[in-house]
Formats: sequence, structure tokens, C-alpha cells
Amino acid sequence: MEPKDKPKVLKNGEPMISVRHVNKKYGEKVVHQDINLDIRKGEVLTLMGGSGSGKSVLLRSLIGLERPDSGVIEFEGRDISQLSEDDFVEVRKKIAYVFQYGALFDSYTVAENLAYPLREHTKLSNEAILAKVSATLKKVGLAGSEELLPSDLSGGMQRRVGVARSIIMEPEVILYDEPTTGLDPYNTKQILKIILQLKALGCTSVLVTHDMSSIFQVTDRVAFLKDGKIRALGTAEEIRDTKDEVVSAFIHGETM
Amino acid sequence: MERTKRLLGHTSQRSARALLHFMEFLGGAVGLIQLFFARLKKPPFYFNLFIEQCYQLGVKSLSLTSITALSTGMVMSLQFGHGLERFGGKLYVPKVVGLSIMRELGPVLTCLMLAGRVASGIASEIGSMNVTQQVDAIRALGTDPIQRLVIPRVLALLLVAPMLTVVADIVGIYGGMFISYFELNIPTEFYFHESVAALGMSDFMVGIGKTFFFGLIIAFTGCYYGLNTTGGTQGVGTATTRAVVTSSILITLSDFVLTKLFYLVEQWVK
Repeated sequence: MEPKDKPKVLKNGEPMISVRHVNKKYGEKVVHQDINLDIRKGEVLTLMGGSGSGKSVLLRSLIGLERPDSGVIEFEGRDISQLSEDDFVEVRKKIAYVFQYGALFDSYTVAENLAYPLREHTKLSNEAILAKVSATLKKVGLAGSEELLPSDLSGGMQRRVGVARSIIMEPEVILYDEPTTGLDPYNTKQILKIILQLKALGCTSVLVTHDMSSIFQVTDRVAFLKDGKIRALGTAEEIRDTKDEVVSAFIHGETM
Repeated sequence: MERTKRLLGHTSQRSARALLHFMEFLGGAVGLIQLFFARLKKPPFYFNLFIEQCYQLGVKSLSLTSITALSTGMVMSLQFGHGLERFGGKLYVPKVVGLSIMRELGPVLTCLMLAGRVASGIASEIGSMNVTQQVDAIRALGTDPIQRLVIPRVLALLLVAPMLTVVADIVGIYGGMFISYFELNIPTEFYFHESVAALGMSDFMVGIGKTFFFGLIIAFTGCYYGLNTTGGTQGVGTATTRAVVTSSILITLSDFVLTKLFYLVEQWVK
């Protein structure tokens, strides 16, 4: 990394990720139209919106799984929108992504799934890796499941293993794609608990979700996307009490 | 008349779509090959994954390719034996069978079997990983799908395709010898001697030389379709079928070009 690209030291509340004038199209379909958004250090930000509003694409763009057609995405003051895959490796050690269904490697055991990033990016001994795997599994309430295969786990447990794999490298930012969708109340509560625990440790979180009941328990701010644009941005309370008919209808489950 | 026109229109549309799809595949495969060479130069190299793929793609294919070669050698011996007997040429069976197997049938049939078993396996495995976001997870965890999925498979096939062909050549010749002894009354010592006398190093090299290209075709086709799988389980099925069909066609087509090329090289060396 060049000296000019050195990450800034940020305080809580300062923009950690800045999205500036981002545009994205798939063929004729416009996904993002001049998106501007700051994600502040230590906050939980929720991206909300109807299906096809571009929230998942925005989340994927933050970790380079999608690239914007134009515009800038800055992480700690450095433009990451056009980084090469090699240069993205360092960024991906700091930004973790929790996939909707866990995206666990199905031929690996739970322990091997969790050990994967540690074996790839650290020089820890096998004993240290296994100790860290056990400790992380305990954090997500899955102690003792090291030797199970993903196919042995329920959907909720797979999601929690997915979260465990994402947090094992102690990232600064965690991106959650629909973390609680389709889960039973117990697993939903467990995931929300993990998000709040990580927030308490200063971790920044960005969530994409449709799950209205759980959003407001954990989120600091909400960005509402509609037709590829941010239609509303505010604190959880501001969005809940918004006068915007479209946003209000979405939140209260009415047709838009 | 109307129906014929409609059918022709439908057929030409399908042909145009197939051609477009093939051009898309060629462009994508060239891009994948470029990425392969770019990533090959960079660490890490996953040696354990390479060994695992040698086992999965090579050792596990051994029985299939050997049975195919055995059967081919036996059938060739029987066909040539009875066919040449009419012209008094039965004793040429060892030479004809040996040359056919070593120069042509050994490499082509082995690699066609590999295309069926391995290209489909690669496409379905990587395709399933793709539709369940495991390929995205590899990237999101700061690692490279080309280095983890493509390089070990391509290198493994470069190694195992020639090795399986060597085994197939030997098994095929022995299959021919077996049938010649029992059906054509050709003594095994004579058969063996005639085969060895007829086959030269150039025949072996021509046959084995082709398998490196065939191995690359199988690996890149399987990986390309796997990495470009979309549309859930149905998409995995489609990718698997396309991988087998495309790699089989490419092997068959490239066989002619390679055979001609190797003949030219042989003449130039002589």
C-alpha cells in the first residue's frame, strides 16, 4: 500500500465507508442512481427497501463482489471501488461479509470452515487456530459443533456458523445480507445478540434485511432504497415515524 | 409450406443461438486461461488441493478408462482379425491394433471418458458452489477462486490425462493380445513381439502429446461452465451438460488438427 493510501485513524461516529455518486446498471436495468451514503464507525446501519431496490448489490459493492460503473467507494479514506482482486485482499481482512444462507463450504467441517481465513491469512499454529475456532463457536452459541458438517446443521445454525466465520478475523466492518430472514425466533434472537455484542466492541455493521421486527432492535440508522436511489436516511426512530408515504407503507406492510 | 418455414426459422434461430453461445464460451474460456496463467505465477499454490484433485480426477477415473481401453483393444482385435483374415492379413493384427490404440484410440477414448466423468464433475461441483455463494465466500474471505478451484484442477488433469492414457494404451494392447490368443489363435509371444516392433517412440509421443491438450480442454471447459453457472439446481444441470458436450466436441475436433500437426512435426524431425 502506498503511504498516501494509509488508512486514517477514525473515531467513533466518523465516516468509515463513504459511497459517493455511485451508479450501477445491469444491461438496461438501472440498479443504482447517484447513491451517496456515509457509514459511520461503530454504528449499525440498515439498508432497507423492496425487492430489486439495489440494497444487496450495494452491500456486495462495499466488499468488491460487485463493482460500480461509476462513482467512488472509500474505506478509511481510500478509494476501493476499482481495486484489483489482489489489492482487495487487505480490505477483505477488515470487512467481513455474512451471506444470506451462510455460504459455508459444504465439504468442510464447521471447524475447517472457521479455520479457513485463519489458515489463509495468519501464521497461527494449529493449536492456536483450533482454540480460536472453539472460542468463536462459543460466542455464537455453537460450542462443541466443530466436527459437524454444514449439512448436519439447521438453517439457523448454518447462519450462526457463517457469522462465526466472518468474525473470526476480528474485522472492523461486518456486512450482513438478510441475517435473520426465515429464521425461527430463537435463532433470530441469537443473531441479533451477536450483532449487539459486536457493536459493543466497536464493530461497524451494515445490514440488508426485510425483517422489520428485528431491524429496530439493533439498528442506529436506516437507509431506505427505492428505484436505485436513497429515498430516506435517518435514525431508526426517524424512519419509523417518517411522513414519507412510500417508506411508511413499506415499514407498516402496506402496498406501495 | 407455412409449417416448413416455421420449422426452418426455428432451426436457424436455434443454430444462431448455439453459435452465439459457443462464441461466448470461447471468449470466456480465453479470459479464464489468461487468469489461470496470471494467477499461476503468484503464491499461494495449494499443493494439498492439487494432490486431492489428482486423486479425484485421476485415480477415481482409472477403472473407467481402463475398462474402456480393454474393451476397445478386444473389439479391435476381433474386428481386424476377422476382417483381415479374408485377405490373409491376420498376422498384421498386433501391429494395426497397437498403432491404432497408441496413436489414436488410447488418448481420444480416454479423454472422452474423462470429459464425461471429469468435466461434468468439475462443472457440477464448482457450479453448485457458485449458486450457493461459496465461490463468493472464497473471494469475500480474501482468497482467490482461480487459485483454489481452477489451478489445482487444470494442473491435476495435465498430469493425470497422460498417465491414464499410458495405462489405457497398455491395457488396450493386452486386451487385443487376449482376444487374439483365444479367438484368432495368435500366440502371445508373437503378438507382443510384433506390437513392440511396430510401435516407436514417435507413436507414443504423438498419442501422449495430444492428451495434454485434451486435459486442458476438459479442465477449462468444466471450470468455465462451473464458474458461470446461474439459476439454481437447474442451472447446475445445464452447466454440467454443456461442459460434457462442449469438451467432447472440442476433443473430437482438435484431434484432427493435432493429428495433422503431429504428422507435420514428425516429418520435420525426420
